[in-house]
Amino acid sequence: MFISNGRLARQRVMKVSLVWSSPSPERTIAVAMRRCYSTKTIEEIESELEQKGAEYWKYLLTKCMQDKSLDVLEHFTLSLTVEGFGEDDAAKVASCFPYVRISGLGAESWLMSLNARTLVEMWRAPAARKLAESIVSELDSKNVCPVFNQVVFGEKADAR
Amino acid sequence: MRVKLLYNTDPEALKAAMRAKGAAEDPEVLLDHVVYMFEIEDCSRVTTHQLVRHRAASYDQESQRFSAATREGVVTPPSVQKSQAALAAYDEALKAVYAAYEKMVAAGVPKEDARYILPSAIKTKLVMTINARSLMHVVWQRTALQAQWEIRELANTMLGLARDATPELWTKIQER
Repeated sequence: MFISNGRLARQRVMKVSLVWSSPSPERTIAVAMRRCYSTKTIEEIESELEQKGAEYWKYLLTKCMQDKSLDVLEHFTLSLTVEGFGEDDAAKVASCFPYVRISGLGAESWLMSLNARTLVEMWRAPAARKLAESIVSELDSKNVCPVFNQVVFGEKADAR
Repeated sequence: MRVKLLYNTDPEALKAAMRAKGAAEDPEVLLDHVVYMFEIEDCSRVTTHQLVRHRAASYDQESQRFSAATREGVVTPPSVQKSQAALAAYDEALKAVYAAYEKMVAAGVPKEDARYILPSAIKTKLVMTINARSLMHVVWQRTALQAQWEIRELANTMLGLARDATPELWTKIQER
């Protein structure tokens, strides 16, 4: 993957707003992870995940991060609007992260859809870190995936 | 074969965001941003090999490294079922393959190595997440008469589920 040295989103104020995200992201990731290792039907997997509860989903997520099996994160998807983001910034994101979809909504305003694996890759790429931080902060503020954010990005939003 | 739609992006949420920014509600834009997650069960590995050639999607499939294979879990094509002689040959080969698989596992060969002998007819399960634009490409290619019967059934089923969930995106299927 090509990562430009140029930083995204120069010193402009960037505003990220959540439009939509997969229902129950941690559970969705757990479904994908169990699918790899189970012969059960989807109904049986879902019922197992309900019975074992959120702590088990967290255990599976922690394990996939430890094993670097980021593929299961691809099933957690989200759409956002991003403002204060220029044409060149959008072009850089589109070229560095091919699974991101970006559509122009007006001057420096974009509709962006991505999966959580790409979000992790953005977080780890210095050039895209600021955008990733803005997305994670928005997910925190909407309480979309508190366990995911804690396991993947660190203990507390304030400390990040 | 069984296919279930686990979730899809709500196009209304996307349209509301476009309206809020004063942008036109372009159906072409929706195709990029609406995503579907499917669970697919009991199709053959022949078909999933064809399916994963559509690369702009995410797949997680039941692993044969850890789960034991059983002889009941195979797909028999209709053309084989139609002929007594073909069916007998198919069944005989499966019996031999599974007998060898079980012998190897019993002899301590790890399942991940014993599976080398398993047939492509074996049934599998997977989850697949794909956006509407890529799914439309799958539908265009794999519902065509030249496509094989099993992936045609799969593509038609996914089309039906996507169309039921988000009818406005599927009023016209275009070559992509």
